[in-house]
Amino acid sequence: MPLPWEALIPFGLLTTMYAATGTLFSVVKRAQNDGKPPRYGIESWDEMMMDRDKRLTGSRRGQQDNPIAPEGFATNSIWATTEVSRS
Amino acid sequence: MSSYVTPDRSAAPYVDPTPEATQPHVPEVGATSAPLKSAAFFIGAYCKEYNDDFMLCKAENRNPEHCLKEGRRVTRCAIDLIEKLRENCATEFQRHWECLDFRNQEYYRCRKEERLLNGCAFDKLGLTKKIPGTSPGKTPIHEVPNPIYRNVQK
Repeated sequence: MPLPWEALIPFGLLTTMYAATGTLFSVVKRAQNDGKPPRYGIESWDEMMMDRDKRLTGSRRGQQDNPIAPEGFATNSIWATTEVSRS
Repeated sequence: MSSYVTPDRSAAPYVDPTPEATQPHVPEVGATSAPLKSAAFFIGAYCKEYNDDFMLCKAENRNPEHCLKEGRRVTRCAIDLIEKLRENCATEFQRHWECLDFRNQEYYRCRKEERLLNGCAFDKLGLTKKIPGTSPGKTPIHEVPNPIYRNVQK
């Protein structure tokens, strides 16, 4: 007697849908974080350091280990008078 | 009643409010968060006196003007150490901070690279990582051979 393989189609569909959305989410998150896994458990200290990294490298996740900062760095700090959205 | 006029529209000449520099100019540290986190304990070991000086000075008076001299020394020492690390232990240093950057900047997830960096720093620069506040009999967490908490993927 032939096995009812058509009954497995919904399972296949659901698995594919979960996999597709999961992969898309992961790819989008990595693209937003310069190809690295996103950071989590971020405190105000980490926010402050990431803003400093943005001033140094142009991106909140960019890293460099030069000992000396570029010329404008000493005077380009930002003091917000109101809450600003971070990007 | 006069309203505030932005500098570009005001008739008066612009006077820069920055006070005269009292200290010789020192450049800022250019390392970002992951390399600084990687070098943190070595900065603590290498620059201990200058850091303690600065913190004691700040404890007296929080005004930025009061501690410019000590702050200058702290910056110069940190720059010096990062230059030394790049010169002597470039590959180990870079691998450690790249690992940290990939793993949410958590030390417990990069112990293998950290051991290599600590070995190189000890051999070439004579610096050891010491965690302040470990009880005398206890092994510091970075020296425990098989810790419970570690990176999930080997």
